[in-house]
Amino acid sequence: MFEWLSWFTRMENTKPFVLVLFSITFVLILLYVFTNRNRSKRLESYKNIPFQDDDEDGQSKDIKNEQ
Amino acid sequence: MVASSALGSTLGSTLGSTQVEQYNYDIVRKFTIMALVWGVLGMTAGVYIASELAWPFLNFDIAEITFGRLRPVHTTLVIFGFGGSALFATSYYVVQRTCQTRLFSDGMANFTFWGWNLSVGLAAISYMFGYTQAREYAEMVWPIDLLIAVTWVVYLVIYVMTLRKRSQPHIYVANWFFIAFILATALLHIFNNMAVPVHMFSLESYSLHAGVQDAMTQWWYGHNAVGFFLTAAFLGMMYYFIPKQVGRPVYSYRLSIIHFWALIFLYMWVGGHHLHWTALPDWTSTLAAGFSILLLMPSWGGMINGIMTLSGAWDKLRSDPIIRFMVVSLSFYGMSTFEGPLMSLKSVNALSHYTDWTVGHVHSGALGWVAMISFGSFYHLIPRLWGTKMYSEALIFAHFWLATIGIVLYITALWVAGIGQGLLLRAFDEYGNLAYTFIETVSFLHQPYVIRAFGGALFLTGTLLMGYNTVMTIRKAKKEQSEIDAKVAAKLANA
Amino acid sequence: MKHESIETNAGLLIILTLIVISIGGLVEIVPLYFIDSTIEEVKVEGKDTIHPYSSLELRGRDIYQREGCYTCHSQMIRPFRDEALRYGHYSLAAESKFDHPFQWGSKRTGPDLARVGKKYSNEWHVQHLIAPRSVVKESIMPNYPWLMKPLQYKNVRDRMRALKMVGVPYSETTAEYEVNVKRFGEDVAKNLDILKAEENLIAQAATGNYDGNASDVTEMDALVAYLQLLGTMVDFSKFDDGHFADFR
Repeated sequence: MFEWLSWFTRMENTKPFVLVLFSITFVLILLYVFTNRNRSKRLESYKNIPFQDDDEDGQSKDIKNEQ
Repeated sequence: MVASSALGSTLGSTLGSTQVEQYNYDIVRKFTIMALVWGVLGMTAGVYIASELAWPFLNFDIAEITFGRLRPVHTTLVIFGFGGSALFATSYYVVQRTCQTRLFSDGMANFTFWGWNLSVGLAAISYMFGYTQAREYAEMVWPIDLLIAVTWVVYLVIYVMTLRKRSQPHIYVANWFFIAFILATALLHIFNNMAVPVHMFSLESYSLHAGVQDAMTQWWYGHNAVGFFLTAAFLGMMYYFIPKQVGRPVYSYRLSIIHFWALIFLYMWVGGHHLHWTALPDWTSTLAAGFSILLLMPSWGGMINGIMTLSGAWDKLRSDPIIRFMVVSLSFYGMSTFEGPLMSLKSVNALSHYTDWTVGHVHSGALGWVAMISFGSFYHLIPRLWGTKMYSEALIFAHFWLATIGIVLYITALWVAGIGQGLLLRAFDEYGNLAYTFIETVSFLHQPYVIRAFGGALFLTGTLLMGYNTVMTIRKAKKEQSEIDAKVAAKLANA
Repeated sequence: MKHESIETNAGLLIILTLIVISIGGLVEIVPLYFIDSTIEEVKVEGKDTIHPYSSLELRGRDIYQREGCYTCHSQMIRPFRDEALRYGHYSLAAESKFDHPFQWGSKRTGPDLARVGKKYSNEWHVQHLIAPRSVVKESIMPNYPWLMKPLQYKNVRDRMRALKMVGVPYSETTAEYEVNVKRFGEDVAKNLDILKAEENLIAQAATGNYDGNASDVTEMDALVAYLQLLGTMVDFSKFDDGHFADFR
């Protein structure tokens, strides 16, 4: 009943299948993350979170975003 | 070793400041101290077993200290003792600072402290007396496995509950890596350690899986101990402490999103590359090799993200030894994540597997990346935890150089040993017979083994300096605190 | 869905992370249990030639694990010319199918042991384990003089029962015994009888006389019995060249 799994064990099937599947996913994620200027700006703003906790050394909290 | 953990806790709790802190730093202090204690013990064990390989008389016919029994002691103490405690310390610190909230439960946090350190200590002792599961990096016998499982679940609960009560709407990227590490470790630990005890009161057990399935499960665990315990979690460290130390936010937050998802997805596939050319079916190990090559991309993406964060602060490289630790750690991270995919190629693996090249590769990651980023983070952390400056900056510089030179000697020696032995073993004479016997290749290893032990000893010396520096810093903090207390008391008396 | 939804929701972050980290293991491990060709069938004259360890050999394997032999010795020969010349035929998956846990190892500080059985005499093994450098001058192996102490075998039945629970065909009932006779032949089946474990263990130590002293049962008896068995269960002369290559 599990013999259909063996389709995946044949390299000539698995390789292109996996390659296509993962490449598409990867490209979609890349497109989501790096396109759209507003989204990029928004995402990049979260990198300042570690600097919102300064208490003891009294340094400036507003480290400007380099972008 | 249990005694030393008790020492750690008293040091941690008595030296904490008297008023209630906004954050639970007490648990961070305790784990920091234990990381150093386990680090020194584990690296000492490492130098000792390295010396046993160079000079076998050091086994002294004492069962408890022979190579075979001490080797898991070394790996357990450095990975789970040093690395694990460093991760508990930094993850508890980072989650509180980035969520701007106190840790969920002090009692539960203390439970993880005792549960974890007890597990590590008992594991080390039990190996010396011959109690082991004989699974690499998972040698702990089943009762210790259960203790670890309980501790880990409590850790997960604390972490998630702290995230849930955060004041900051966003969960910072460092925490994603810590969460992935906690979840993956739970998954790996449970599935790899499934076993049936010989008897309810016996420490011994037999694993549920056998042969080829057991091998795949074990290396799925083994490589992800590297991928999640020794990489993902330390990347969490990187994403917090490097920006904090250089005073600049991480280079690209978007890159960190890609880095995170790609890394945690790909790592889980690659364990099979430890089983190239074995009785594991070809499709599995080929798949693992393919994913190992792909893994280079997120690894280097992460490294670039770290390096670019540092790149605005090259001028500080001269004056700030902490940044030096961080730069070197990222360089070794880049180096070993390049070497890894290379060694996962079947043709390269045919030569490198079973040799010291593998051991050298692991150490360029473990010493170069894991230990160096931890040292950097600790030097950042310790002054903040005890509210004073480090006792000696010169000692930090000395530590940096000892550690760096130690690693370079170590991995160079093992490149020579591994590649050399690999070539000797596959050499044929003009008649097509084997050119060397096995024992001839062992004789060849002596010199590299001596240099390796020396490199390891340098690294250990650096760690000892750090231990001394830390103890003196804590003493200094105590003194400063009592001076302040005295002043306050005097003022009160005058008033 | 925005990435922010994940970043601001711990539960979602956890669930997605769990899914992403589960895929690799599921795809690579689960099929190994269901694809028949993963483990070869090795039969000669209708009998399985690869069989579980006798009670003495099992205790020997326990000692092999206890001493951490796997930290320096592998038990997995790869299909290369140099390894064929040095160690013998490459290892089959079937040869470790009763190994809980597997002991393939990852490092050869010493040579591979997958086919060390019957290559050296018992006397050689005993001398080599007690003082390796008295046999091989350049060896860096530790001495194991304490292996001459008496073997503990009181709980050997519990051990076999535990192994039976994880799938090793040791027998307790007559029916199970009969199945083993059919599968492995009578000589082997006798050794797999849990109820006769101690009896068999003492008898094998006495007749095998692995440690050079027939009167007592030492850890050395058990360990050498185990080592002498390693890699001897398959007689490759009974199979065509390339027969096993189809499984790779």
